[in-house]
Amino acid sequence: MLFSSIPFLYYFLPIVLICYFLAPKCLKNAVLLVFSLAFYAWGEPRYVFLMALTIIVNYLMGLLIDKYQGKRLSKLFLLISCVFSLGSLAYFKYADFFIANFNRVTGLNVKLLNIALPIGISFYTFQILSYTIDVYHRNTPVQKSIVALGAYVTLFPQLIAGPIVRYSDVERELRERYHSFDKVADGIRRFIIGLSKKVIIANSLGEMCDAFKLSDDKSVLFYWLFAVGFSLQIYFDFSGYSDMAIGLGKIFGFNFLENFNYPFISKSITEFWRRWHMSLGSWFRDYVYIPMGGNRVGKLRLFVNIFTVWFLTGFWHGAEWNFIVWGLFFGVLLTLEKFFYGKHLAKLKVLNHIYVLFAVLISFVIFSASNMGEAMEYLGGMFGYGNLPLVSKDFIYNAISYAFIIALAIIGSTPIVKDLYNKLKETKCSVVLNVLELPVLLILLFVVTAYLADGSFNPFLYFRF
Amino acid sequence: MKNKIVTIVFAVVLFMVSLTAFFKPVDSYSESERRPLEKLPDVSAESILSGSFMAGFEKYATDQFPGRDFLRGCKAAFATNVLQKKDNNALFVKDGHISKIDSNINEPMLDYAASLFERLTKKHAEGKVYFSIVPDKNCYLTKESIYPSMDYEAFIEHMKQKTPFMEYVDITHLLDLDDYYTTDTHWKQENITHVAAFLANKMGTDLTKDYTQKEIERAFYGVYHGQLALPFKADKMVYLTNDVIDNFNVTYYSTGEGVKGDVYNMKKAQGRDMYEMFLSGSESVVVIENPNAEKDKELVIFRDSYASSIAPLIAQGYKKTTLVDLRYMQSAFLESYVDFGGADALFLYSTSVLNTATSMK
Repeated sequence: MLFSSIPFLYYFLPIVLICYFLAPKCLKNAVLLVFSLAFYAWGEPRYVFLMALTIIVNYLMGLLIDKYQGKRLSKLFLLISCVFSLGSLAYFKYADFFIANFNRVTGLNVKLLNIALPIGISFYTFQILSYTIDVYHRNTPVQKSIVALGAYVTLFPQLIAGPIVRYSDVERELRERYHSFDKVADGIRRFIIGLSKKVIIANSLGEMCDAFKLSDDKSVLFYWLFAVGFSLQIYFDFSGYSDMAIGLGKIFGFNFLENFNYPFISKSITEFWRRWHMSLGSWFRDYVYIPMGGNRVGKLRLFVNIFTVWFLTGFWHGAEWNFIVWGLFFGVLLTLEKFFYGKHLAKLKVLNHIYVLFAVLISFVIFSASNMGEAMEYLGGMFGYGNLPLVSKDFIYNAISYAFIIALAIIGSTPIVKDLYNKLKETKCSVVLNVLELPVLLILLFVVTAYLADGSFNPFLYFRF
Repeated sequence: MKNKIVTIVFAVVLFMVSLTAFFKPVDSYSESERRPLEKLPDVSAESILSGSFMAGFEKYATDQFPGRDFLRGCKAAFATNVLQKKDNNALFVKDGHISKIDSNINEPMLDYAASLFERLTKKHAEGKVYFSIVPDKNCYLTKESIYPSMDYEAFIEHMKQKTPFMEYVDITHLLDLDDYYTTDTHWKQENITHVAAFLANKMGTDLTKDYTQKEIERAFYGVYHGQLALPFKADKMVYLTNDVIDNFNVTYYSTGEGVKGDVYNMKKAQGRDMYEMFLSGSESVVVIENPNAEKDKELVIFRDSYASSIAPLIAQGYKKTTLVDLRYMQSAFLESYVDFGGADALFLYSTSVLNTATSMK
């Protein structure tokens, strides 16, 4: 079930809100667990059993790690937890990728498993690992209630698309969290803004990207328009979903960490990754990069560490070579920035932005493809490979038709509106802003509902992860 | 206080809409979109485990959402007026016409159509075989505009090359934008008499009779009107009669048995799609017998809905005209219903049906 859908907004959400706020404090986690499992089962009825098994296994491993804290057995139980969780991920997400490549290399014809990917498995696997690893390292206390741990793993606001909420970040809120009108209203604002970003902007841009893919009238500029459109679409799609998750979290009393911070205004790729999918970046930093030695190693080992992390980052996004290339592409740029031109970037006032945007556009073109062949076709198209014309009629039409949406998206991907709003709030206009806020939120909700009732184009890019 | 208001108003809106959605009576058909609406799927262990219940419920919840037609209109207005999009769900308005973007030539579909026509021709045709393509109104609407348009010349050329076994009759130059309804995809019968005469002439017969125009009082809102979901001026529905047409004997075979009927179905003229008044719309086999025919000639028209309005005009030149719509019957059963003995054949198809030719069996 997508947040941006009629069943979620007007069927699921009202019911869960009533049950949650009517339930006594001691049952709130149980209500969340039950509804989160129902939310998950809605999209993946069969895999709800896998989810339950994951919770039970990691709950037991958490207890055993804690019981044998400081002893060798503790490490063994952590290993079991990791093997189980990563094994599930490997089997369900990567088995066919490995088989297909094995077949390609050996010339054999091992049958593909064709397993349907359990929704959100990449997200909840990383979340559950953060629990057992943190318990092992004594960074967080063990969770003795299976209901609370289950509620954490399955928590529907962030279950299928993150942010990757670490157990240590919500451990206290799982025990005790407070609810207030202020917090709920904040959550509502955030949720509606996220919903609007997703439905009005990301979906519109998605239509343009689909029109590009279906067009028989491609041109060099049309490839570039697609690159811009897709980059903005994925930002508004994913950050909109993160906003909705954070907003829903607030409504239910949780404080999830931010996941995006205007990444397109970055002056370097290093900065970009501090602003883009922050929960994933920090997860890899804390659970892979630092345990491998981080920066405090020799140069060669540092290269190995960096490229391991970026190989895994790419591979996490999808079981295809283009995702691996996408990750390694960033690995190369980050290495170059670290060892060569990083220091000089800050001095290049406008060029550093152009450099980041160019690299990001290229990266998302690779990311948008369904395989490496398609990625090469898109990149070739951007640089005129195949005697493409510079301009085509389909390009002109789409550039005109989506000009306003693209302009809106570009402005929305910078902090201009937020800064203006904050500035106006400090002036006499704050009264007007206060009065206008509620009508604007209601209008946005109305427009989003109109889009959803129309049954318009409504994909979700990060669903496949 | 402000946060309290935001929370309470949001909750009230959410729950009111939700309650309305829960208790709203179920609609079975969308008049504006001309399609049946999704009903609540059956609940069973199997449908839940397979996920079909959930998929069905999502469609049901969207289709049955309260005020959906109004919301569709608001969405269309927002997309085109606020976001300045040039189309809404691929529908656009230009020169007083609503039309749909359809710019790609689907060559495998054209090849499929050509091979189907070849098979039918080899198996059944005994007389001369003609082929004509009805261009979509975009052919005249999008030529000098920003809207993506199909290369109709290339489309026709491709079909001509793939169908050397038929004599191609080009009618593109005989039409212009005014010959099409503004809210519908079809052509107007009152504007295509010269096309009918041209086709008949090319096939060796003449249409000499004049026509009387009659108008249906009810406003005609074509298929694009409801899909666009924005206010738009209605078309007029006009049909043509004369002594010859009035005396046609028309038999419909969609149920297998021959049922007598009229050329212009006035019941359908009051129905959901007024264009269906021409030869009763979606019919697999229709036979028009003309007792006043001057020649003994017979014609079989393989056709889509565009032929419904031109066939009564062409049929004046023939003793018997049989219309076959392969979208509603398997070509394998053709012999059971159609007598090809010595008849000429005309394959008359629109670009849109040829471009999605697998709908023909």
